[in-house]
Amino acid sequence: MRKHRQFVQLLFLVLVCGSVALAATQWTLQPRESKLTFVGTQAGAEFEGTFERFTADIKFDPQDLAGSRFDVKIDPASVNTRDSERDDTLKSEDLFNAKQFPTARYVAERFAAKGGSKFTATGKLTLRNVTRDVPIEFTFEKKDGSAWLKGSAQLKRLDFGVGQGDWKDTSTVANEVKVNFVLLLKQ
Amino acid sequence: MQLKNTLTRYGAVAQLFHWVIVVLIITQFVLAKRAEGLSPVAKIGVLATHKSVGITILALALLRLAWRLCNPVPPVPANTPRWQERAAHVSHFLLYALLFITPVLGWLMSSARAFSVSYFGLFTLPDFIEPNRATYERLHDFHEAMALTLAAIATIHLASALKHHFFDRDDVLRRMLPLFGRAPPAD
Repeated sequence: MRKHRQFVQLLFLVLVCGSVALAATQWTLQPRESKLTFVGTQAGAEFEGTFERFTADIKFDPQDLAGSRFDVKIDPASVNTRDSERDDTLKSEDLFNAKQFPTARYVAERFAAKGGSKFTATGKLTLRNVTRDVPIEFTFEKKDGSAWLKGSAQLKRLDFGVGQGDWKDTSTVANEVKVNFVLLLKQ
Repeated sequence: MQLKNTLTRYGAVAQLFHWVIVVLIITQFVLAKRAEGLSPVAKIGVLATHKSVGITILALALLRLAWRLCNPVPPVPANTPRWQERAAHVSHFLLYALLFITPVLGWLMSSARAFSVSYFGLFTLPDFIEPNRATYERLHDFHEAMALTLAAIATIHLASALKHHFFDRDDVLRRMLPLFGRAPPAD
């Protein structure tokens, strides 16, 4: 009887230790050093914007891609393209409609290693209440207790309804938008 | 066809520069006026054309100035009062200066508005200044003032040409006119 109980205790201990060792690392975003930006094209000329308010819940371990997960929440009303009129237009009904849809979200659970520090993920972006798959590519570089997660994605704004009425016109604002992110994470 | 200037007549190249730039300047005023009452999307399109035409004027002005420096300049008619001769030189100098200053101000103004200038969607010009709303407002006023000054001097220039043609009955206007001013064939 005693041996049986010892065995169960040992098994329990092994399972607990094992699952802790297997769980992908939970990282904490350092907002001041991190950036989430995008590049759009207006009448043929590129312009850059940044989202000043976003959170990123990152669980990532190159040795445990199955247990990794990104959950990023973005405030579209925090958009900054260095021109307040353009920012107001972006937040308005026909574009981000930030009042009605105050949060955009990106969740990724499927990851693939591409060699070295390169990875890809296929996640779901919910923007202006439309959810679609958006693949991302990124690099993950760890040093001591921090890590840099840098990557990009390409998306089409009209896929998410960003651009209603007159703003559907892609010669005014191109459909293709590139999103870039540079995140500093600490354990 | 006589490409270069002679002492009695402007050559085809100088004439082409002159009249093409006249048409482009008129186009600029029409576009600027049209942009005023438009919806944001339509305005972006019209202003994009206005900017591209403006850069075209700037490039032509540079080429034209280079051409002028390599060509004889038909002198003022004999017996022209000194004040008129000086007025002619000053106004021509100002016209050249404004052909550079006005588009350069427009270019800077666009950069100050965080809106890079795209040349007909083919390539984007560099931004020489940082986005700044106050700077933009000042440059906008300056650009408009220079454009109106250009229009005023051009009007005086036109009136003077007509005075030479109808009152003085000399060949000042004719020597800048293609076809109509040609000397009769020598046979």
